[in-house]
Amino acid sequence: MSRRRVAVTGAGVVSPLGSSLREFHGALAEARSGIRRLPDELVQKAGVQVAGVVDWNPAPLLTPAECTNLDRVTQFAIAAADQALRASGLDLKATNPDRVGVYWGTGMGGATTLETSYERVYGKNDWRSRPLTVVMAMNNAAGSNVAVRYGLRGPFANFSTACSSSAMALGEAMRTIQSGRAQAIVAGGAEALLVPGTLSAWFALRTLAPADAGNAAASCKPFDKRRAGLVLGEGAAAFVLEDEEHARARGAHIHGFLTGYGNTCDAVHMSRPDRDGQIRALRDALEDSAVEASAVGYINAHGTATIVGDVAESEAISAVFGEGAVRVSSTKSMHGHLLGGAGALEFAAALLALEQGIVPPTAWLDEPDPACRIRHVASKAERIEPPQAVMSNSFAFGGSNVVLVAERA
Amino acid sequence: MDTLARIKDMAAKEFSIDPAGLDPAAPLDSLGIDSLSFIEFMFKVEEEFGVSVSDEDLRSIKTLADLERHVGAALAASGKS
Repeated sequence: MSRRRVAVTGAGVVSPLGSSLREFHGALAEARSGIRRLPDELVQKAGVQVAGVVDWNPAPLLTPAECTNLDRVTQFAIAAADQALRASGLDLKATNPDRVGVYWGTGMGGATTLETSYERVYGKNDWRSRPLTVVMAMNNAAGSNVAVRYGLRGPFANFSTACSSSAMALGEAMRTIQSGRAQAIVAGGAEALLVPGTLSAWFALRTLAPADAGNAAASCKPFDKRRAGLVLGEGAAAFVLEDEEHARARGAHIHGFLTGYGNTCDAVHMSRPDRDGQIRALRDALEDSAVEASAVGYINAHGTATIVGDVAESEAISAVFGEGAVRVSSTKSMHGHLLGGAGALEFAAALLALEQGIVPPTAWLDEPDPACRIRHVASKAERIEPPQAVMSNSFAFGGSNVVLVAERA
Repeated sequence: MDTLARIKDMAAKEFSIDPAGLDPAAPLDSLGIDSLSFIEFMFKVEEEFGVSVSDEDLRSIKTLADLERHVGAALAASGKS
């Protein structure tokens, strides 16, 4: 029996480049950056100078009272899921809720809640914690709140594999729909970690880029000789993934099909990326989707702008596709690294190339590192014929590699 | 504002209920307030009034009026009222 095809029928975005798919795609097409200098107090405390920050306005979706009891990461998740569900046109009243699930990804979960709680107990020596601390901070709070809000009673899963979390959520959601265990799944990820304690932990890793001297928005420079490390970001992206038959029967707009999922572990080192693990994930995703490598017209790279990571990924891509054979960019140059939300947000970026033939660039890429021998889409978006397939890479701390392939509708 | 009015006001905000229709004698679940939400709310009330309601007392609280009674007693005991 052939596998069911998994259609992408809705997408939602909360990002440093705007909080809708349209705004996000518009910013990518114009190579605008949502990276900015953090408030002085945060810079002094945590050392981190820049980040991709969401201009967040939860109204009218969430009331102030609701927001008090939902971590920022959950607010992002609900907003992205709400957009995706609306855009999909999926009528939840006409759909069996037991067959609609939520697969979510987040790295740090409710970081704000946890820090607020710790500040109270350790900082103020006040050991009366808020009763909602646990359910607001727990890693599955974001996805679970999406399920509760929309009454989605089918399969649920929450992935926490650092930078590959939400890519894994999409891949595993695809598998679940392929196997017939769900008709539709709201899949995505969210991250909201721009709080002092968490930032200071990241700063201690000595892997973050300082603010660019001339232009804070240009601080993240993947694949460039001048790159100085990654820039953290916050936000969320969600998709309605749906059994093709179900989507066609209701006449849904199909953005594309999620057809390939590669998932490997380096099993070598906690933070140093391994080319071989990435190559296996790239090959597995291609094999899974059954498209030829030559059919892939764009790869949204993991491209964090670390010295070691960008070279390893360039080598992995070249090993699988041939040197310079496929357009590659890292949109982290514009939205920063959303960690657990990165895979989902970057899948949304890849859809821009797949659907509209607008290939988002690596912004600020003026001096490509000769060690990164790939076909860059540098500084400005390229317009091409919509390709047959696109790819999105997510390579995480812990050595988890996830690669997704989407095909044109 | 007396204690009950303040608690009503806080509850109206916390649970997005019209304060005019908020009956302090109504069972909490009939107001759509589940046990987890109520524990969180009571925590905020404790903070607001600077008192503490015991687990034992908590079990007997079924309405906002019950809560007001315990808060009032705690205030009286602490000399704050």
